[in-house]
Amino acid sequence: MAKFQWLYHKTEHGPLSQLWVSFRQQHSAVIGLMLFGFFTLIALFGPVLTPYDPYLQNPDALLLPPSWDDMGDVRYLLGTDDLGRDQLSRLIKGASYTFGIALITALGAMLLGLLLGVLAGMSKGFRASAFNHVLDLALTIPSLLLAIIIVAILGPGLINTIWAIMLALLPQFVHGVRNTILQQLEQEYVIAYRLDGANNWQILRYVIFPNTWEQLTVLFSMALSTAILDIAALGFLGLGAQAPAAEWGLMVADALDLIYLSPWSIALPGLLIFIAVLSVNLVSDGLRTAVRKRQEN
Amino acid sequence: MIWHYLVRRLFLLSFVFFALTCFAFSLGHLFPGDPLVNFSGISQPDDELLPILVQQYQLDNGYLQQYIAFLQRILQGDWGLSLASQQPVLYELSQVFPATLELVAYALLISFVLGVPLGLLAAIKASHWSGRVISTIALLGYSLPIFWWALLMIMLFSIGLGWFPTSGRISVLYEIPSVTGFMLPDILLSGQTYWQAALQDAIRHLWLPAFVLATYPTTVMIRFTRDAMLNVWQQSYIKTARAKGLSRSQVLYRHGLRNAMLPVMRQLGLQFSTLVTLAMISELIFSWPGIGLWLLDSISQRNYPAIQGGLLVISSLVILVNILMDVLHTLFNPLARKQANG
Repeated sequence: MAKFQWLYHKTEHGPLSQLWVSFRQQHSAVIGLMLFGFFTLIALFGPVLTPYDPYLQNPDALLLPPSWDDMGDVRYLLGTDDLGRDQLSRLIKGASYTFGIALITALGAMLLGLLLGVLAGMSKGFRASAFNHVLDLALTIPSLLLAIIIVAILGPGLINTIWAIMLALLPQFVHGVRNTILQQLEQEYVIAYRLDGANNWQILRYVIFPNTWEQLTVLFSMALSTAILDIAALGFLGLGAQAPAAEWGLMVADALDLIYLSPWSIALPGLLIFIAVLSVNLVSDGLRTAVRKRQEN
Repeated sequence: MIWHYLVRRLFLLSFVFFALTCFAFSLGHLFPGDPLVNFSGISQPDDELLPILVQQYQLDNGYLQQYIAFLQRILQGDWGLSLASQQPVLYELSQVFPATLELVAYALLISFVLGVPLGLLAAIKASHWSGRVISTIALLGYSLPIFWWALLMIMLFSIGLGWFPTSGRISVLYEIPSVTGFMLPDILLSGQTYWQAALQDAIRHLWLPAFVLATYPTTVMIRFTRDAMLNVWQQSYIKTARAKGLSRSQVLYRHGLRNAMLPVMRQLGLQFSTLVTLAMISELIFSWPGIGLWLLDSISQRNYPAIQGGLLVISSLVILVNILMDVLHTLFNPLARKQANG
């Protein structure tokens, strides 16, 4: 049977659609992708979707519980915080902060990592080994420590901590890209192409890059979940996003004093962080399985 | 052959330490304010002290001399004074660092005891419901934001059920002199009449932070043990072992687990810096008097010498653990040994 397996496989499909076929077979990954799309849409169009201004304070509606509670008010679907700001609007706005900025951070780290990884992968000898050692150093500084140092130099703020997170994410991209390139360079089709007279740039552009994007997507999804967790954690610690901003981690920290009065104002933003990270991890796991299946075929 | 590899690792280690001290040194100039204050931690040196300090820190000379002077001070144990308390930074570090190590060690212990067997189970019963449940729980735990998880646990176990205290290492009732800096051995060494009660109290304090911190490494262990085991299970040497007539459990322990633990060990080294970040956050939430709480206080107090010292200690720890794991991995794995030399 195994001998005739090629008959049952639609090999005329391109790699992308092959990947999609095996991705689609995993239900959890598809659910993760749907959630991921949902969060991306909210992050993009959040400011238009909010029922109230997320910073508008209503002194007549302080600390309202969610509307399904007996004390709740249907006008404020998820209740209000201690300043009378609508929770739902703040949570929607928070998607742009926590999820949206994490997307940008991971993208930035990926582009920079791609550049450095290519440089590291294509260079040889002393330069390559010195480069690796510097990277090993960067890998050893925990992201929170890096953020503390950057905050000490530049002061607290979302933008400053983004640099710290980007720096902390960078080494895994560089290592990943470099390893993939080194792996590719050993392939026979690269040698064949080189014998045809292709220079380094042509090899990179036409042979290596088309073979790295799968690896890059997997790396990106892993970096994204770290970025969301880091942005939220730094916001919670007061190093990242600053006071009125509706960042999810910061919202948890703001509600800490109200842990007895309104536990839901801690539970809700945290739950959103959790679901956002979970959706990214589901997609990431699904992608990894799909990539492995495609390469085995 | 193996010596060649070890010497190369040692060379790498010294290079990384060199780069680390360069970075720490440059912070003294990068931090806002006077480099003299940032290095020494003396906020207002009087006229008598000022020329001595400038001389000692070589601040009139170029960066190279300053760096050499900095390195000498680090090696001699003069890490400056904390701007907040005017205590030597190294002394304060020696007080808070063991607390962090203790917390991380117990969390790692929990993750080993729980993670490896669960990961094995998930691999063996990959398509059974129990395997799926374990994998799902691991994925959920992997996605938890630790500060939120810690707060939920506090809400449930401390506020709701009242089983565990919310903060600190031990109740203020008990006075335990610090010998090793690690609470449980210190209690045993203290020789106080109430040591049993103190031990119980310390363990009650330890439960919640250690459990919360262990969540992430445990899920990492489960995931990687499972993946590695599934990978190993397909190798031909497993088939050979089965064909030789070994029982399932013999194959599992002698041939499966030993090989599967290698990538897990390596991953543990790589994840250690994440674990330290998580430990710092949980210290803040549980008011655990460790290095994370100390550093986060330092940032709000603009305590630059403390941040510099914290950087050196934490990074050294992570570097050492990384290199140790790498060396162990190579020692245990003949294939990697061959690669390292070839």
